[in-house]
Amino acid sequence: MSTPLEVIFKNYTAELNKAASDDNIQLALFRAVKSYRDNTRSALERFPHTVQLAEEVLEIKKESIKRMDELVAQARESIEANNGKTYFAKTRDDALKLASDIIGTGKIVVKGKSILGEELEVREHLIEKGNEVWESDLGEFILQLRHDRPMHIVSPSIHVPREQVAKVFTEFFGRPIEPDIAKEVAAVKEFLRNKYFTADFGMSGANVVAADTGAIVIIENEGNVRICTGVPPVHVALVGIEKVVPTFQEAMKVAEVTWRYANYTVPGYINIISGPSKTGDIEKVTTYGAHGPGEFHVIFVDNGRTKMAQEDLFRQGLYCLRCGGCMYECPVFQQVAGYFGYRYLGGIGAIWTAFVAGGLENAAPLVYTCLRCGRCVERCPVGIDVPSMIIELRRKIVAVGYSA
Amino acid sequence: MAVNEIRSKYFRLPQTVEVIRSNIIKYGNPLALTGPEVASWAKGLDLPTQGDVLFYTGGEYQLIPFIDSLVQTMLKMDQGSRSFSVMMGLRNLMDKAGISAEKLYASVLAKDRERFSLIPYKAAAVLKELGLDFCYLGEEEIYSGALLYEFGFWNDLERHAEKVASLIKNTGAQTIVCLSPHAAEIFKLVYPKLVEGFEIEVKTFVEAVSELAENNAGGLPCGFSGKVVVHDACRMARELEITEEIREILARMNAVTVLEAEQNRRWTTCCGGPSKVLFPEISSQIACQRAHELEETGADLVLTFCPYCMASVDKGIRDTKKDIRLEDFIEFLYRGIA
Repeated sequence: MSTPLEVIFKNYTAELNKAASDDNIQLALFRAVKSYRDNTRSALERFPHTVQLAEEVLEIKKESIKRMDELVAQARESIEANNGKTYFAKTRDDALKLASDIIGTGKIVVKGKSILGEELEVREHLIEKGNEVWESDLGEFILQLRHDRPMHIVSPSIHVPREQVAKVFTEFFGRPIEPDIAKEVAAVKEFLRNKYFTADFGMSGANVVAADTGAIVIIENEGNVRICTGVPPVHVALVGIEKVVPTFQEAMKVAEVTWRYANYTVPGYINIISGPSKTGDIEKVTTYGAHGPGEFHVIFVDNGRTKMAQEDLFRQGLYCLRCGGCMYECPVFQQVAGYFGYRYLGGIGAIWTAFVAGGLENAAPLVYTCLRCGRCVERCPVGIDVPSMIIELRRKIVAVGYSA
Repeated sequence: MAVNEIRSKYFRLPQTVEVIRSNIIKYGNPLALTGPEVASWAKGLDLPTQGDVLFYTGGEYQLIPFIDSLVQTMLKMDQGSRSFSVMMGLRNLMDKAGISAEKLYASVLAKDRERFSLIPYKAAAVLKELGLDFCYLGEEEIYSGALLYEFGFWNDLERHAEKVASLIKNTGAQTIVCLSPHAAEIFKLVYPKLVEGFEIEVKTFVEAVSELAENNAGGLPCGFSGKVVVHDACRMARELEITEEIREILARMNAVTVLEAEQNRRWTTCCGGPSKVLFPEISSQIACQRAHELEETGADLVLTFCPYCMASVDKGIRDTKKDIRLEDFIEFLYRGIA
């Protein structure tokens, strides 16, 4: 007879094997890994200071996680002082309740890509509450239409080739869309334009937050986040509490290392948002909501991060910048993409699954999928030692299952 | 029911893990090979059981052909849930699936069995030729327990390590030379935390050869001329930081040209071996990918430095019909001597 954990393993393995024999995934990953390595190599050649900057960022992250509670409190004060509103969610349920209390029902929401959003499944939750929610990142938009889940944290629809995109778009837009990438992009642009200007809320995540100024920094290339956070009358940001660093200068360092190891010399856009839109042009009277949002809400989410910070070995998991470099280097990921994952993907995803989204039982198959080969550590800008954390999680799993 | 009982009822790992665990505990070997099966290579060599340097096989090269045979047998037997039934271990397999161990033995091709069981012999011959005297535990030798560590069974490992450490201690050796980098890793990095007073100097076969070669002014005998590519083993390159020793040894061989894979040294690609037990399909695909990377270099011969790498990459080469041959470094060095 199978135990529940064996059933989880069995279902997971079936998915994994299916992915491994999917030619689309194989081809897409093969191309993606090659261009990731080429791009990162040339980005680091053009900006060689990045390697040393990454060492500085590791020290910044160490210090920030040590002072996580204090920095979150300071960031909240700063944002409030900028006339934004802040909230603290201990759990996933708290975060979802806060978001839906702000947004309500019957509203249109346009959303930028957020890994925390995936962790919380916030889109699904808001739709369930009777809202119309649109992912505006092209990759996420494709996945939303396919009812699919992200296969990479930076390039979520890495596994969907243009022919399949054309098929999904043709069905959704109700007119023929050719498998021509430029035309596919144009179709989404046209559709979302309308949504941006009718939306009640714009939603985003954040790559890093500066405690001293309350600035949240969002790196992007498409320009969708710029519109999502700039056009609708209200901006709601979801932020993991591990994202806060002491100063604005340090936030910039974290951001630069993040995008460079995500294979960009420089991203198309770096958004820095510290409060609602305002003007004092008429009689020096400050008025909010000049061109951009009149309200700025930031929800800080714990959901297991504090527990992770309390464990000496696992604390380093919170240093993750989400550049996604480790995934391209992972031999398993290269075969099956995000099927080696739950809400969070790859080896580092196994750690986050255990602590933040999924629990030890859903983490277990991931924990045992990791080869512990260690190449992710070579790539990681902050040298996160995933193999050591994996072996400790295996010990924990055995301690739970075999203690009787 | 006590909380612990409930938990363990619902939180068990797939059977294969359990089987390997109990094989190691009961038989001292992940596939339940017996002492005579592991030590047959040394018959007639009259190696002493005590000495300054201990030659340690851990039975790992010897068990390789049986792993593949088991995987093949189970793949044929049970298509539906094959991921969970491979590698049950000979003795346990007999109990649980009604396959006789003898049949499985018989299904291992004689040439494969011979190739792998000869590797410890060849390693011993190479070290002898380079002037090293050593002792060997013979039929007493048991597996290091590295897989207990890998799978998370630390309590079992602690007990097992006591046994292994006491066998090692009885040899009086100050240095242990390990054929498998996994054994070297666990002796070097894990045993000192588990076994009080475990202070033996740990070397991989490559390190031993590298040191002996340095003392041998005459250079190294080599029975090969052509282009080779090194497949660095993950644990050896990253945990044990052994990469240059290999290149230095090869540089002493005039007829050998070393080509480098794009992913090499600390950036080496895993052979897929570690997931063979739970995810054999993925494991085999990773091996094929690595075979591809190695073939791309244009080398004639791949060199491996670990039993699991040897088995996985060799199979990857066969599965993808790549035009490249593979030898373990031990076989490669032995050619020059034989």
